[in-house]
This record gives sequence, C-alpha cells and structure tokens, in this order.
Amino acid sequence: MYLNADDLTPLYVQIAQWLELEILNGTLQSDEKVYSQYQLAEMFNVNPATAAKGLSLLAGENLLYKKRGLGMFVAPQAKEKIRAKRIKQNLQQLVLQVVAEAERLQVSQAELIAMIKNVEPPKEE
Amino acid sequence: MQSVECNNLTKRYGSVYAVNDLSFSIAENSITGLIGRNGAGKTTLLKMLAGFSLPTSGTVNIFGQNPFNNLLVSANLIFIDDEMVLPENMNLGEILKAAATFYENWQAGLASGLLDYFSLDLCSYYPQLSKGMKSTFNMILGIAARCPITIFDEPTVGMDAAVRKDFYRALLKDYLQQPRTIILSSHLLGEIEDLLDNILLIDAGEKRLHLPMDELRSYAVGLSGNFKLLNELVKKEDIIFQQQLGKDKIYLVVRNRNIDFSAAKLKGLEISPVAANDLCVYLTAKHKGGIDDVFKHN
Repeated sequence: MYLNADDLTPLYVQIAQWLELEILNGTLQSDEKVYSQYQLAEMFNVNPATAAKGLSLLAGENLLYKKRGLGMFVAPQAKEKIRAKRIKQNLQQLVLQVVAEAERLQVSQAELIAMIKNVEPPKEE
Repeated sequence: MQSVECNNLTKRYGSVYAVNDLSFSIAENSITGLIGRNGAGKTTLLKMLAGFSLPTSGTVNIFGQNPFNNLLVSANLIFIDDEMVLPENMNLGEILKAAATFYENWQAGLASGLLDYFSLDLCSYYPQLSKGMKSTFNMILGIAARCPITIFDEPTVGMDAAVRKDFYRALLKDYLQQPRTIILSSHLLGEIEDLLDNILLIDAGEKRLHLPMDELRSYAVGLSGNFKLLNELVKKEDIIFQQQLGKDKIYLVVRNRNIDFSAAKLKGLEISPVAANDLCVYLTAKHKGGIDDVFKHN
C-alpha cells in the first residue's frame, strides 16, 4: 500500500481517510475490529505513532471506539456519519472549485451541468 | 523518559565550531532523523552521543549518564557508520558470533536471515566486501543488536536503491517488534521521512529545527502564480525560498501560517506541498534564490 507523498494532506490524515473508505465501501463493518497501529504501520510503511494518530483522529470523531485491551472498533452509524461529513466537506469544496474554474473559462451553468451529466461514474474495482 | 539529552553541547576543532551550543532531547522509543548538509556537524554530534569523543563544552546525557568511558552506555548503544573497524582475520559468520556475546538482545536468527536475504556469504571477509555490501553488513549488525539506543550515521552509503528500501523496511519491522530509540542521519530525507517520529535539522553545527515529522510536513507550502497577487497574500518574513517563473509569475515557499487557502485557490494561485527534503535544503540555504543567485551576478 502506498501513500501519496505529493499530497498536502498529512500522512496520518491519509491513513484516516483510507480507513474511512474501508468503512464506506463496507470492508469494515459496524462493531468490527479495525487494524492496530502496528498493522497499519507495516501496511503503509510508516512510523507507528503516525498510524496511531490516524486512528485517534477517527476515534475523536466518534467513528471508532476503543475497547480496553482489545483495540479499536467501528462505531455503529460510522458509515452514515462519514458519508454526511464527506458530502459537506469534500464534495461541496470540490463543487466550489469546479464552479470557479467554469467561471474563469466562461462556461455557462447549463453547459457545466450538461458536462456533469455526461460523466460516467468510475466503476468500483 | 528521555534517552538522550544534550545541553549547550559544543565541539570545536581549532577555530571551527563543528557543533555549536546544541540543546535538545530525544524521547525513549522513537525514531529521529538527523538531517543536515555536508559538514553540518552530524557525525561530530553522533560521535559525542556514542561516547566516542568528548565535547569541548556542554553536556551529553545518555540514560542520564555521561557516555564517555561508560560501560552501561557501551553495552546499550550501538553506533553504525561506514568506518566500522571490524576484525580482518574473522569471517562474517565469526563476527556475528562475537557480536552475540557483546549485546544482550542479539537476534542471531534475524542476523543470519538478513545475511542470507542480501546474499552475503558467512565465509567471506569484511575487507573483501564492496562498499555497498559493507554497508549492508553494518546495517545487519545494527538491527540485530537491538540496542536500546541505535545510531546509524549515513547507513545507506553505497547501497543500491533496492537494498536501501529493504533496509528501511527491515528497520521498521524490527522496530515494531522491539521499540527502541533510533537515530538515523542522512541527507536523503525523502527516503526516511515516513519512518520518523521527529526530525532534527542542523546547519553549521547549530540546531535549525527539531519537530515532529507531521509538523514539518505542514511547516511550509509552495505557492505559484502572479507576482502581485502573491505579494498581497504573503508576508515577506514568511518567505523561505523564491524562484522566478517566466515574466510575472513566481514560485514561493512560505511558512504555512496566516494563509487563506480557499481565497488563494479562487484567485487561481497554485498551492503545492513542499517535499520535506526540499524544505530542509531551502531552510539551510544561504541564499533565498538557491544556486541561481550565483549566476545572476555574472
């Protein structure tokens, strides 16, 4: 597994985002145990403290919960929460950028919407 | 607990200060990258930590003790560099056997596994090895000794890209099994940055930065775009590096503070991350324009 070094996002955030994707696509289910910081460190070839920071980021958002001595587990409702969060943060930010670029290029709203409609959604691997 | 503590550490050779008034500490069980340019004082510093040389002034404490002529430190610290003095009349297998008697946590199985993986012959002799193979053998000693303090000074000298990559992964995997305090010096930060907890950047014997790696990654950003727009957005004292791009375009590396990213994006400025390695180069450069400055005057 490789992290994107060209990304402005810190590594621990990239690890958290990867875990969010695993929850979103159903690989990790509610109340299922997630990878330990050591497993993540090995998977991503990073310092275990970095991996731990990724886990605690998700725990801080109540997407994971801790069982003493057993590790971290996926919180119930985590999937819905991640979906709502990503729409609010990522998608809206992306839309804003798309609209700004369209304006710079003098693409009308109708043209832009037509372009979006014509895009085929990428198939899940 | 702090494994390593230095206070006002100074080493002077004649009139040259190789290490100048360095104070820092390193927490137990962490991986620290010691980064600096050629002649920055990395090796001088590490040799004082290892107890190989005495400071001119200031103090070094390893496990709270002075490492110089200290048995406790010698038994619990290993210093690996490319000038290792190993017996010429013993083959590699015999050297490994001898090492096992020096180090309490020695991992014989791991050592022979690594030797085998890197195709080093137990019966060959150290002086006959190529530069890269010597480095590989040193690295195996350093990992298998599992010393509570493990210091690697430029460990990858002469290693090819594949071996370097394997080395760092082996180091990480063994660290996960047996956490310890590791100090790695290198001028190739790009290769080791993901492994590190902290980075200590030194320049001309002085401390430039000592930060958790995450903070270094967000320490600065690259901005490029219209000269005027950027000047409005960025404070002069935040500029770390600048490069002219075409007529009215400029690329700036700036401290990541007081920057309104969404405003910058909407104005069409490009924001890019600055590789940790590049940032260290810019921070230790004497001229803000880099090598280009030399040619401007000619």
